[in-house]
Amino acid sequence: MRITDLLKKESIELNAAVSSKSEAIEKLIELQINGGCISDAEMYKRDILAREASASTAVGDGIAIPHAKSDGVKEPSLAAITVPGGVDYGALDGNPSNLLFMIAAPNDGDVHLEVLSRLMTILMDADFRQKLLGAKTKEDFLAVIDAKENEKYPDEPKAEEKPKTGYRILAVTACPTGIAHTYMAAEALERAGEKLGYSIKVETNGSGGAKNVLTKEEIEAADGIIIAADKSVDMARFDGKRLISTKVSDGIKKPEELIQKIVNGDAGIYKHSGEAAKSESSENESFGRKIYKHLMNGVSNMLPFVVAGGIFIAIAFLIDTIAGAPQDANFGTNTPAAAFFKTIGNYAFNFMIPILAGYIGKSIADRPGLLVGFVGGYLATTGSTFTAITGDIPSGFLGALFAGFVGGYLMLGLEKLCDKMPKALEGIKPVLIYPIVGLGLIAVIMCAVNPIMGMINTGLTNLLNSMGSSSKVILGCVLGGMMAIDMGGPFNKAAYVFGTAAIASGNYDIMAAVMIGGMVPPIAIALAATFMKKKFTKAERKSAPVNYIMGLSFITEGAIPYAASDPLRVIPSCVVGSAVAGGLSMLFKCTLMAPHGGIFVFAVVGNWPLYIVSLVAGAIVGAVMLGLLKKKVTE
Amino acid sequence: MVSKTITLTNAQGFHMRPAGVFANAMAKYKSDITIKFNGNDVNGKSLMNIIAACIKCGSTIELVCDGADENEALQAAIELIESGLGE
Repeated sequence: MRITDLLKKESIELNAAVSSKSEAIEKLIELQINGGCISDAEMYKRDILAREASASTAVGDGIAIPHAKSDGVKEPSLAAITVPGGVDYGALDGNPSNLLFMIAAPNDGDVHLEVLSRLMTILMDADFRQKLLGAKTKEDFLAVIDAKENEKYPDEPKAEEKPKTGYRILAVTACPTGIAHTYMAAEALERAGEKLGYSIKVETNGSGGAKNVLTKEEIEAADGIIIAADKSVDMARFDGKRLISTKVSDGIKKPEELIQKIVNGDAGIYKHSGEAAKSESSENESFGRKIYKHLMNGVSNMLPFVVAGGIFIAIAFLIDTIAGAPQDANFGTNTPAAAFFKTIGNYAFNFMIPILAGYIGKSIADRPGLLVGFVGGYLATTGSTFTAITGDIPSGFLGALFAGFVGGYLMLGLEKLCDKMPKALEGIKPVLIYPIVGLGLIAVIMCAVNPIMGMINTGLTNLLNSMGSSSKVILGCVLGGMMAIDMGGPFNKAAYVFGTAAIASGNYDIMAAVMIGGMVPPIAIALAATFMKKKFTKAERKSAPVNYIMGLSFITEGAIPYAASDPLRVIPSCVVGSAVAGGLSMLFKCTLMAPHGGIFVFAVVGNWPLYIVSLVAGAIVGAVMLGLLKKKVTE
Repeated sequence: MVSKTITLTNAQGFHMRPAGVFANAMAKYKSDITIKFNGNDVNGKSLMNIIAACIKCGSTIELVCDGADENEALQAAIELIESGLGE
């Protein structure tokens, strides 16, 4: 906190013509307002006068330091006047005051005392006071203070150097959310500037509006400007300057390179050509970001269905357990109350996949995208093909992601095509053309894609059958992993059917490995969200506890929202965790005769203590891997 | 020479007004009044010195009085600080 950082040239007046204390205060407040750090001049004045009323702020030796903490002050600042003949300021030593500094401080913090202390430290030197009083210009006045501060506090870096003392670089940082990257880039650039010895000022266009805004004078004086932004920033002001325009991540990753480019004069001269130039770059750079946004729109809308449906199904299992119903294939629907919850829960689950696809489509193509997404997603759950239109092997949530994105962009393309249609047809486009053509297209696409899922499924089933004789542990790993790959798609389905078929033929160990593989993913995710909070968004963390319940109830679907929002990191973690659990279950020769039920059927699990050990081990492996793979979330 | 260590409890610390109250009160005594703070010796009779020392609320300082009326001076200084320096 240097005095020269707080005292602006506009807030200094030498040889002020004031003849009384109140005139001096009046003048100083006026100068504070010139400095621009006062938000409410009336309030600030009231606070200054209240302070003076309690005791004079003249400290003797011709010095007076009126000051006030006030809500009328935006930022700490100083104003100064010299009064040749002095003015009676009510000093204790009776001498008139000829050197007056006024401090404005916001109502919070200790800045006030620090500024006062520093001011007093340098003002104790009589020679220094004489030099200040003898200053011919405001620049001289500031130079005297600057020299004195350098002498008293030699170690501290100056906040801002004057342009003439070195290169001067300006930068603007901005990112779409404007919470983290904007400021990370700003900090990286400032550090790099400091390290390389070039003064730099960075304007941040964050979510709270532009801060540290570049002034016209600064832009004129600067050597060049660095724009590190993923959204459009006001560019007209940089016309005719050397300028680099790049991604915000470059500002974070290679700030030194950017600064060197400006210093070496390698940057091109910017010619402002209106809107086109800036919107073009931001379109390209934020493509990945857009995909993410669409994906999250689907996931966030799906989440309530997963949570509510999952809890209902868990309640059904609980009711049947309490009722002492047999833990067989009908477990969860044996009593009427359980059947109610199980059925309703399953109905909610039925919507889950279509909702995911539908809202991805809507995010991309607005209302026309909703229909294609919904129907495409539904077709992913039925697994309809041209030969088996009522349904075959579902493609699960991976198929739904496909349907949502393909459907959404399909509709955007369709809208473009329809641009050339006669104006008279404008009205029927959204009510007839888009829905009908869109529905037909998505149906054809999904029916063409679904057989691939069927083939994968058949292949996997054959593979599993052929593995029956080989190592049981490996088979357990494969089954566990398959349960986690697509959580309801062809892999999951193949493993599950294989497990239930094995029950029918009297091999109970296989179903145990299958169920544990399906229990691990939600638990692993819940563990990761509980212990590695930084890697999950707020919404994800809030729904994490529910995932413990879902996992324990063998409701793998609980993991889908997480997997859908970050598939490349979540799925491998879940697969590995599930594979470990499945392998261990086989190793420990655990058995299970019920095809579902999770923890509620543990009573009928053979060798259940080690089954729990397998579950815990798999969940921990999955959670740790998730923690290592997932990046920190910036909200 | 007598001395005592004390913690500053008034909200503003040795701000201008509390510092003025303290310096004026100490000026009445013949003894030298020194505030030891942060490795510095601060003249307790000088308003400017006290302010320049930047002693915030919660700081622990050592008061040292040396002279004919050192006991009275120290007593007065402690009472003043404990009473909140007129805040």
